[in-house]
Amino acid sequence: MLSRVAANLYWTTRYMERAEDTARLINAVTLMSLDMPGDVRFGWSSLIRVAGLDHVFFEHYAEANEVSVMRFLLHDEKNPSSILNCITQARENTRTFREVVPWEFWEGVNELYLYAKQSLGGDLTRRRRYDVLQAVIRRRQSMVGLLVGTMSRDAAFQFLRLGRNMERADMTSRILDVSCAVIPPRTDAPATPYSDLAWMSILKALSAYQMYRRYVSVHADGERVIEFLLKNRDFPRTVAHCLTQILSVLRQLPNPDPVMAVVEETLAFVERADSATLAKRGLHAYTDQIQLGLSSVHDALRRNYFKQGDGVNEAGAAA
Amino acid sequence: MQNQTQSQDYSFAPAYNESVDSQGVPHRLTEAMWDYFSGLSTEELSARAAEVDAAIMAAGVTFTVYTEAGNIDRAWPFDVIPRIIARQEWERVEKGLRQRLAALNLFITDIYNEQRIVEDGVFPKEVLEDSKNFRQACVGVRPRFDVWAHVCGTDLVRHSDGQFYVLEDNLRVPSGVSYMLENRQLMKRLFPELLARYRILPVDNYTAQLYDTLAALSPRNGDRPVIVVLTPGIFNSAYFEHSSLAQQMGAELVEGADLIVGSDDCVYMKTIAGLTRVDVIYRRVDDDFIDPEVFRADSMLGVRGLMRSWKKGKVGIANAPGAGVADDKVVYAFVPAMIKYYLDEEPILPNVPSYLCMYEQDRKYVLENLDKLVVKPANESGGYGMLIGTMSSEEQRAHFAALIKAHPRNYMAQPTLSLSTVPTLTDEGIAPRHVDLRPFVLQSNRSFVTAGGLTRVALRKGSLIVNSSQGGGSKDTWIVDGVV
Repeated sequence: MLSRVAANLYWTTRYMERAEDTARLINAVTLMSLDMPGDVRFGWSSLIRVAGLDHVFFEHYAEANEVSVMRFLLHDEKNPSSILNCITQARENTRTFREVVPWEFWEGVNELYLYAKQSLGGDLTRRRRYDVLQAVIRRRQSMVGLLVGTMSRDAAFQFLRLGRNMERADMTSRILDVSCAVIPPRTDAPATPYSDLAWMSILKALSAYQMYRRYVSVHADGERVIEFLLKNRDFPRTVAHCLTQILSVLRQLPNPDPVMAVVEETLAFVERADSATLAKRGLHAYTDQIQLGLSSVHDALRRNYFKQGDGVNEAGAAA
Repeated sequence: MQNQTQSQDYSFAPAYNESVDSQGVPHRLTEAMWDYFSGLSTEELSARAAEVDAAIMAAGVTFTVYTEAGNIDRAWPFDVIPRIIARQEWERVEKGLRQRLAALNLFITDIYNEQRIVEDGVFPKEVLEDSKNFRQACVGVRPRFDVWAHVCGTDLVRHSDGQFYVLEDNLRVPSGVSYMLENRQLMKRLFPELLARYRILPVDNYTAQLYDTLAALSPRNGDRPVIVVLTPGIFNSAYFEHSSLAQQMGAELVEGADLIVGSDDCVYMKTIAGLTRVDVIYRRVDDDFIDPEVFRADSMLGVRGLMRSWKKGKVGIANAPGAGVADDKVVYAFVPAMIKYYLDEEPILPNVPSYLCMYEQDRKYVLENLDKLVVKPANESGGYGMLIGTMSSEEQRAHFAALIKAHPRNYMAQPTLSLSTVPTLTDEGIAPRHVDLRPFVLQSNRSFVTAGGLTRVALRKGSLIVNSSQGGGSKDTWIVDGVV
C-alpha cells in the first residue's frame, strides 16, 4: 500500500464520517430544540462550538441563528467541515484510489456528492432538511455496508476503518465538551426535568440514546452518560470503543508498535476517568486532554505510515 | 411514424454509409439494429438516452477539458446507437494492425541501433535528424523482445470506397481504451435486449491482455511481478483511464513522487511498510517528463534515475522511452515502405496519401492547394495545430503557408477525407454522423488486437472533428459474428 494512498483512504473516511456525524447531530438537535420550553432561546451556536469553528463562523456571520448556522454547517464553502465540503473532499480523494476499493464505492461516493450538491444548497425548511440529511446518512451507510460486504480485509480496508474510528472518537469527545457549556454542572440540588432532557439529547446527538437506555438506564444523568460515552466497549461511538478498534486495525498493519503505544496511553487515560467527579466539574479540561491524545495518535500515524519515504527520498537523493 | 420511415430517409452522400445502402435499405447485419430502434418511440428513445447520461454521471466517467476559464470535468459524451462491423471484415484489419506494429517496432530498434534502413536509402536521414521525438539517450538500447511500442492506438478511417485507411499511429501514451470498455458496460446495462440479438465479440479481456503484455517485461522471475501505472496525476485529462486500468489490472496507480530509484539502480515505491521494488512501469507520462536527470530537468512528474534503471534492465517500461520516434506524421508516410523493408510483405492496411512538405515538389503542391488539404504538424496530437483547408479562412491559410515555409520538415498534408457515417441519435432524431475508429494493439512476446476499438463520432452535423476535446462523442463498436 502506497503511503500517499493510505493517507487518502484515511482522510476519505474521516471526511465521510464527519459529514454523517454532522447530519446526525443536526437532526437530533433540531428535534431536541422542539422540546425546549417556548421561552428558552435555543443555543444554535453550540453546534458551531462542537465543530470548533466559532472564529471562522463569526468572521462571516453576525449572529448564530438557525438560518445562518444551518447554512454554515450544510453547504457553506467557507466552512471546511460543512457537510458538502466534506463530501466533496471525500470524492476528490476517492478519485485517487479508485483502484484499491470495490468499483461501486466510487459510484456511491459520486452519487452521494451529486445528491448533496443538488439538495443541500439554499435555505432548506426544517422538514426538507430532515429528509435530505436522513438521505445523506442512508447513502453513506450503504457505502459502509458495501465495503464490509465486498472488500478484502486488506491494508486499504484497515485505513478506511482507521479514519472512521479516529473521526468518531473525535466527534464524541467534542460533543461531550459542548455538553458542559449547555448543561449546568450538577449540584447536589435535585436535577430539573430539563437537565435530564439535555443529557438525553447529548446521547441522541450521537445516536446513542436507544442503546444507552437498553444497556444502562432509562434515566440520563451526567455521571452515567459520561461513563457510557467514554468507556463503554460495546457501543460503536464511545471513545474507548473507537480506540480499541484502532488498536485492532494497527495489529494488522506493518510495524505498528510506535503508534500502538500512543493509542494505549490514550485509552488508559480514558479508562482512568472518574465520571462522578467529571459530572460536577472539570469535564472541559478533561475532554481537552482527550483531544490532545487523539492528535498525538494522528501524528504517530503520520510519522509511521503517511510520510513514509520522505526521509528515504532525501537519503536516496544524497546517495 | 417518423421512426418507421427513418431508415428510408437515411442517406448521406458521398461519404460511405456503414449502415444502409444508397437506396436506404439496411445492410444485412444492421437490420436487427434498425428494427430494434424503430420499435422504440421517440419518448422511449430519449428516456433511454437520459438514463445513459445519468449512468455516465453516476459512474463519474469524465474527461478534462482545458479552457482559459479553468479545467472542466465533463461527462463522457456517449451515443447509444452501436456501430456494427462484420467479423470477416475485421479479421483483415486485425492482421493489418499486427503487421504494422511489428514493422514499427523493428524500425525503432533499427533507428536506435544500426540504422540499416537509413543506410539502405529507404528512410531519409534528414527526417531522422529533425525528429523531435528521437531520444539520444536511447541509442544502443535493446529492450526485451526488441519491442518499444507495447501499446499502440491506431486511428483508422473508412473512406468513400468503404476501405479502412490508417490515419495515424499513436505510440507515445495513447488513451481511450477505458472508454471503449465503459461503452460496452453501458450498452449491456441499458440495451440488453438489443445485445441479445447479436453475437458480439467481447472487449473486456483487454485488461488481462494488457497485464500479460506488461508482466512479460518484468526483469525478475516470479508469478506476480509488481506492476504500476504511472500517472501525471489527477489533473491529467486521462486520469480516469489511468485509474480504471490500474483498478482492473490490480496494479498500483502511482505518481512520480511515489517512486524512487535506489543506489542499486532498482525502482522502488514508497509504501506503508517501507520501500517495495517495482518490476514494470506502465507509464502514462510523456518521455519529456519521465526523468529529470535525462530529460526536462524541471519535471515534477517523473522519477530521477528512471532511465538509468531501465537501461540497466532493472525495470520494464511501457511504452519504452524513445518509442515516440515512430509517432510522427512525417515518419508515418514511410510505414508502408518499412513493412516491405523489414517484413518483406505487402501492407494490408493502406495509408492515407500524404504530401511531405520537406520535399520541394510536395511542398509546392501543398502550398497551391491549401484550401483543399488538411495540414498537420508532425508532432502534435489531439487534433491541435491543424489546418482544415475546406473550412479555413484566407488569413489562416496565409498563416500556415508561412509556417510550412519556415519549417517544412514539421508539416505534412493529406487530402480531406470523406469519413464514413453511422446512424447517431441527434436532436433531429436518428441521423448520419461521421466517425473514426481507434483500435488498440498490444505487443510484447506476442501480440493482441482489441475486437473493434473506440469509435469516435463528430456529433455536429457535417463535422469531421471527432476529438472529445472538440465536440466529439463515442459509440460502442460491435464486431459481429452473426445475428441470433
